[in-house]
Amino acid sequence: MANETSNSSAIGQTFIAGLWRENPVFRLLLGMCPTLAVTAAVKPALTMGLCVIFVLLCSNIVVSLMRNLLKPHLRILMFTLAISTFVTIADLFLKAFQPRMSETLGPYVPLIIVNCIIICRAEACASKNGLFISIIDAIGMGIGFTVTLCVLAGIRELLSTGAIFEIQILPLGETGGWFVPWAAMSMPVGAFITLGLLLGLVNIISRKKT
Amino acid sequence: MSKMKHFIEQSWVLVVSAFVFGLLIAVTNAALSERIIQNEQDKLYNLMRGLIMNSNDFQVVIEAAQIPGSKGKVNQTDIYRAIDSSNRSVGFAFVAVGAGFADKIKLVIAVDDGCEKFFGFKVLSSNETPGFGSRIKEDEFGEQFREVPTGALEVVKTGDAEKIDSQIIAISGATVSSEAVVSIFNTYVEEIRRQLQKKGLIGNGK
Repeated sequence: MANETSNSSAIGQTFIAGLWRENPVFRLLLGMCPTLAVTAAVKPALTMGLCVIFVLLCSNIVVSLMRNLLKPHLRILMFTLAISTFVTIADLFLKAFQPRMSETLGPYVPLIIVNCIIICRAEACASKNGLFISIIDAIGMGIGFTVTLCVLAGIRELLSTGAIFEIQILPLGETGGWFVPWAAMSMPVGAFITLGLLLGLVNIISRKKT
Repeated sequence: MSKMKHFIEQSWVLVVSAFVFGLLIAVTNAALSERIIQNEQDKLYNLMRGLIMNSNDFQVVIEAAQIPGSKGKVNQTDIYRAIDSSNRSVGFAFVAVGAGFADKIKLVIAVDDGCEKFFGFKVLSSNETPGFGSRIKEDEFGEQFREVPTGALEVVKTGDAEKIDSQIIAISGATVSSEAVVSIFNTYVEEIRRQLQKKGLIGNGK
């Protein structure tokens, strides 16, 4: 009974870690390239997040299943091989079923191959744990990354266009409203400022908790 | 022999995995490639339809036309003839590529049936600065090219945007992107006209 409770607690801890305690963006500062590059609007951010969840899940499954066969000096090569395969598949699916989104994301989907979150989870979790824990870890980390990207993108899209998810929320000045779009927020400078402020906020909240 | 055994022991997982992953990509590509090509063609045709009024269908009249670019580079592009519902030629269109501010700019340019005036252009792909260079996609800039006689265009900083002439008013804050678009036009149009004349698809009046 006690064993079962500690097991389910470990699973819960693994899942929650990605959402807050070890959030890939706010706590580990991983995956900065897509975090800064595709968060000008919520739709591309969400698509990027879903692609990362798919790749993270598939690579964690493969690495976890093969962990006993891997030679230590060849493991990184194996991780990269698995990750690049699933990224290519995700890219092909996007091009086939979401061509406009694929164009919007441009090179950032293929660049998931070098996203540190994925190789980090393969090394830190999947290569040392069983299949179930690896899946939970991938889902937790993936959701944590996606939610973070969407929060960042929501703030930037709202300030740069007055809309979220392309739905106009703030009335634009040119249509008789009061909101003047802040173009800088859709540019890289907006990404750096928003990320910096959110990191500061997360640090303040974390300090208060401890 | 022992070296060989050591090599196989060390690498068999990697070799087998590479084969399996390669197969997985090949299968996915085979299943989706037709749809991907169709998507690309649909996008191009939609843009061309938007530029050439009454166009119903498009035929490739010159395949892989050679266009000399800057620094001795040669670009290749297909030239399409637009036909209306009664099978009459209503214009020509082609894809043109050139260097932009941040990355390459890919345009679809359309001209009339005699290659005497521009119908305009649409951006097929670009990665210009959001809020500045990205405004080359806006109608306000694109409309300046509509009905302009084909020939060398030039970028100016001020002027009357409504006036139909070879002077294109640059987008404020995006002079480099505006110049890039005009440079693409200047690089392609003369050569396209020459090749259409050579094929006898348009007259030699100009």
